[in-house]
Amino acid sequence: MALVNPDFVEEVKRSGRFDASACMNCGVCSAVCPMGIELLPRKLFRYVLLGVKDRVLENVETIYSCLLCRLCEVNCPAQVHIAENVRFLRCYMNKKVFKI
Amino acid sequence: MSDRRIGVYICHCGGNISDYVDVDRVVKAVCDEPGVVVARTAVFTCSDAAQQEIIQDIKEQNLDGLVVASCSPKLHLYTFRDVARRAGLNPYQYTQVNIREQCSWAHTGDREGATEKAIRLVRAGIARTNLTEPLQPVKIDTVPGVLIIGAGIAGLRAAIGLADIGICVYLVERAPVVGGWVARFGKMYPHGKKGRELIDQLLDEVKKRESITLFTNAEVVEKSGSMGDFHVRIRIKEPAESDIGVRVGAIIVATGFDPYQPREGEYGYGLEGVMTLAAFQELLDNSGGRLVYNGREIKDVVYIYCVGSRQGTDMENANRYCSRYCCNATVHAANLAFEKNPEIHQFHLFRDMRTYGRFELLYREALKRGATFLKFDASEPPRVEQGGNGKLKVTVKDLLTSGEEFEIRADVVVLATGMVPKKNGKLVDILKLPVGRDGFFNEIHPKLRPVETVVDGVFICGACQGPKNSSESVASALAAVAQSASILKKGYVELEPLIAAVDPQLCTWCGVCAQACPYSAIEQEQYRGREVARVNEAVCKGCGGCVPTCSRDALNLRGYTGAQIKSMIDALVKEIC
Ligand code: SF4
Ligand code: SF4
Ligand code: SF4
Ligand code: SF4
Repeated sequence: MALVNPDFVEEVKRSGRFDASACMNCGVCSAVCPMGIELLPRKLFRYVLLGVKDRVLENVETIYSCLLCRLCEVNCPAQVHIAENVRFLRCYMNKKVFKI
Repeated sequence: MSDRRIGVYICHCGGNISDYVDVDRVVKAVCDEPGVVVARTAVFTCSDAAQQEIIQDIKEQNLDGLVVASCSPKLHLYTFRDVARRAGLNPYQYTQVNIREQCSWAHTGDREGATEKAIRLVRAGIARTNLTEPLQPVKIDTVPGVLIIGAGIAGLRAAIGLADIGICVYLVERAPVVGGWVARFGKMYPHGKKGRELIDQLLDEVKKRESITLFTNAEVVEKSGSMGDFHVRIRIKEPAESDIGVRVGAIIVATGFDPYQPREGEYGYGLEGVMTLAAFQELLDNSGGRLVYNGREIKDVVYIYCVGSRQGTDMENANRYCSRYCCNATVHAANLAFEKNPEIHQFHLFRDMRTYGRFELLYREALKRGATFLKFDASEPPRVEQGGNGKLKVTVKDLLTSGEEFEIRADVVVLATGMVPKKNGKLVDILKLPVGRDGFFNEIHPKLRPVETVVDGVFICGACQGPKNSSESVASALAAVAQSASILKKGYVELEPLIAAVDPQLCTWCGVCAQACPYSAIEQEQYRGREVARVNEAVCKGCGGCVPTCSRDALNLRGYTGAQIKSMIDALVKEIC
């Protein structure tokens, strides 16, 4: 079981660079992803929105395997800025996990 | 032999009838029945052309009886009665024989059998028509007043509506004050007004109208009479109890709802910090600045939806229905909470979001402001327990993350409780109103006759007929206004004359029929110095329950007399062809 951590949500919110609140969990993004990344972006974004920090940190590889091709983004019916969100998560990882 | 002149029309109903019934054979079989002078088929008897043809036949052939063998009378009884009327024939000398629902559709695999049955049914219809007499509808003068039970938002609005069209209103409220639940609501969507303000506004309007008499602390204790002229006794409990009687032409019931009261332990109910939506709304209204509960600022809220609604069948007395206002009300409350504190964390555990219509905007706003929604399965509901540090611990499996389990720490858990029917037992007995499976009052048809009940002249509106928000309640109140005004403004109502009649020559007033009548329509009267039974025409429903109880054969149902029924049976058992 994962603990929901609102502080993480706030941290993300403050950055002003992550926004997936319009995501309606339709799954189009996962369906069109050439990398076949099942987790990306809908599940991963949900982890962020819910503040399940542990799960986000567990998925470093996934976050880095995204091609940023934006195939998902052009197909997203809710116009979620998927690639930008992924970019933000990479920055976050760089800082928090890899301390770059 | 009969000296009647009857026209018989057998309908093809496109192919609905003629595909399974040999309509030409039916015509051939019945054209020589006693009284029949015209017998034809028609592709669609209800079409304008066919109606014209019937009217022409009635006039030219001087018909004094009409039989149409077609669909169910539910569909076209009034159509063909009207055809008769337009041709100058008394509409009660018309008989509709159902050879679609009760014959062709019931016997699609047996054309021979269906045809024989149709012949018998039509013969019976002709036999009945042979013995018809012209009847006139029972005309009853209406009293231009309405009794409204319940002075919540629906009752108040209905009172104003009726007063404005010149009908006098008695408004009866059980509580000491008017306004019902709405009076206790805070800021409402979409106008942003407080419930109390809305009610005060309505109450002001009520006070301006002299034709509205408002009774608070009052109850309806007795009702007699019928549509157009009800006699009602109202008990007023202040300061000393007293009864008054009023006469009205119609009754509108607007008694509202009760909020669902969670059981002890249901989603942690009973734990410190677990509250109903109503209690949370009150907390929102009463907190000036930040949201505080038990001296502590509320930082994390968990909402659990569908509490007391959409319950599983395994439960006893489960509320199966969606309360349809709680999703909207909860999301609205969440937005108000964001207004008080934009930093607040709100988690919504739902089964399905049902924020229909413009309430979608509220939902979107909540999402935008950072509320998170987790979907749970009804079979695996969230668990609420006491956690550490005075916090509550909520565990939920989120279907949107493929059923992953999450733990949320919350200061308060808000249960989105739905609406349940108000306990109205006494009133139900007095008005004899039917109650549906879910305990709310039943309308005749939710789309076609949404505020009418099976009791003529008694209407329902607002949340007493099912969960509704305030604007839906007002809309239904206005529908009830329109319906009741339409019968009262005319000054009279016309009721079916197909009711029971007593032959005073034969009646010896044993009273057995009076006891048998489920509508208390039989009274006693004097006839040539003797006591006999009398049927109150306004009350009798023509159910026929009294007829067989009379040992002296003094009762008959107009339109279905003993002689008519016997002749129909004879015709039904006659040899085929
Ligand atoms: S396509 Fe867009 S809306 Fe659909 S799940 Fe992916 S991000 Fe969400
Ligand atoms: S941008 Fe990333 S997640 Fe989206 S389709 Fe391309 S690889 Fe997949
Ligand atoms: S309105 Fe929403 S919370 Fe209320 S019963 Fe329906 S689905 Fe459940
Ligand atoms: S027909 Fe029915 S309603 Fe009418 S008097 Fe007889 S029992 Fe009563």
